[in-house]
Amino acid sequence: MNINEMTVLICDDSMFARKKLSMSISGFGVKAVYEAADGEEAVSKYKEFKPDVVFMDIIMPKVTGIEALKQIIAEDPDAKVIMASSVGTQSHLKDALKSGAVDFLQKPIADNDALKVLENVAKGVL
Amino acid sequence: MFAQFFGGYLFNHKLCTAEDLTQAFEAKKHTRLRLGVLAINAGLMTAEQVEHVNITQQSVDKRFGDLAVELGYVTADDVEKLLVQQPTDYLLLGQTLVNNGALTNAEFEKALKDYKAENQITDDISDNQTETLHNLINEFYHFDNDENARICTDYVTLLFKNLIRFIGDDFTPMEASVIKNFAAEHIVIQKINGKYNAEACIATDSKTYMAFAERFAKESFTEVDDFVNATAGEFLNVNDGLFVVNESNEHGVELTLTPQKFLENGELALSGTAFCIPVNYPFGKLNFIIAT
Repeated sequence: MNINEMTVLICDDSMFARKKLSMSISGFGVKAVYEAADGEEAVSKYKEFKPDVVFMDIIMPKVTGIEALKQIIAEDPDAKVIMASSVGTQSHLKDALKSGAVDFLQKPIADNDALKVLENVAKGVL
Repeated sequence: MFAQFFGGYLFNHKLCTAEDLTQAFEAKKHTRLRLGVLAINAGLMTAEQVEHVNITQQSVDKRFGDLAVELGYVTADDVEKLLVQQPTDYLLLGQTLVNNGALTNAEFEKALKDYKAENQITDDISDNQTETLHNLINEFYHFDNDENARICTDYVTLLFKNLIRFIGDDFTPMEASVIKNFAAEHIVIQKINGKYNAEACIATDSKTYMAFAERFAKESFTEVDDFVNATAGEFLNVNDGLFVVNESNEHGVELTLTPQKFLENGELALSGTAFCIPVNYPFGKLNFIIAT
């Protein structure tokens, strides 16, 4: 898969964080970027769009990122969910990986790190 | 960060005004550190001797170092050593204030000596910068009296690093106060829960809030809207997230964060001990509140 064929879902309750990551990812030439503002919306948008990559915040209202991740993995065990959070502690990391996340990015997310994730998914490394 | 605290020290000792500091932080980008300032810092020359060399230079076409050696104030070896020193940020600030006429050389020499002695700052600060900075912040804010001094000091150290990283280094930390409540046009609140509970907030007026968000987002805003709130909130979230990571990695303390809350023209009621830490930027005063 090429990056320009990819669809990406960004789940973050911060409008600012969504916009910033969305602008970076759009700049890499992906096919489409979708956004969700909480865990509940993330699960519903995942079901609707079946994106190739999901960037998921952890601290979110209604349904947390970890809970949303579990629901997405239950729906699609091959989902490529990358946790993108400010709280990259060992315990959050363990929780995320145990629940099916394929990678973890500590906020603030550098453009290069986001690009590397997309390239790894494209190569089938993640 | 030593420059910001040196600025705070000068302000608190009424040696210069907030306006002097704002101008100096802007001008110091273009300031080249003079040999005389390095010699004062190293304790090799007094302000009076530096003045003497400066005055002599007006009638003799010689470099400062050569003249200082000729006048017997320093050796050629001293000059060599001073010339290879990396410019230190707080010295640049001091020299800029002297250049701008806000401080005399003598006032600068005394302030520098007192500041370094009070905060146990040595010339090789790069070797033990973290510890020196930790002591400096603890001393500046008198967190020592609080049982959560270590937490407050770590939080504020990280906060200032992130202010420098994301907003800019042109700020002056002002004296902290212990508060029970705080009213402001805009307040962002985030709770830190786990082994202990804490609350971190940013409180300020609309103009400053917008300018702060503009610097973080690197965008222009015309009014405070949801996006400006989200931007200020994300700064707090990134800072608090890194704090939580440090607590886990360095102290084995597991914590988590709650989504941020935003108050407009509201009043914050705080339980426990809360410190208000004002920070002056050219665009206004931001109040950071940490309650434990």
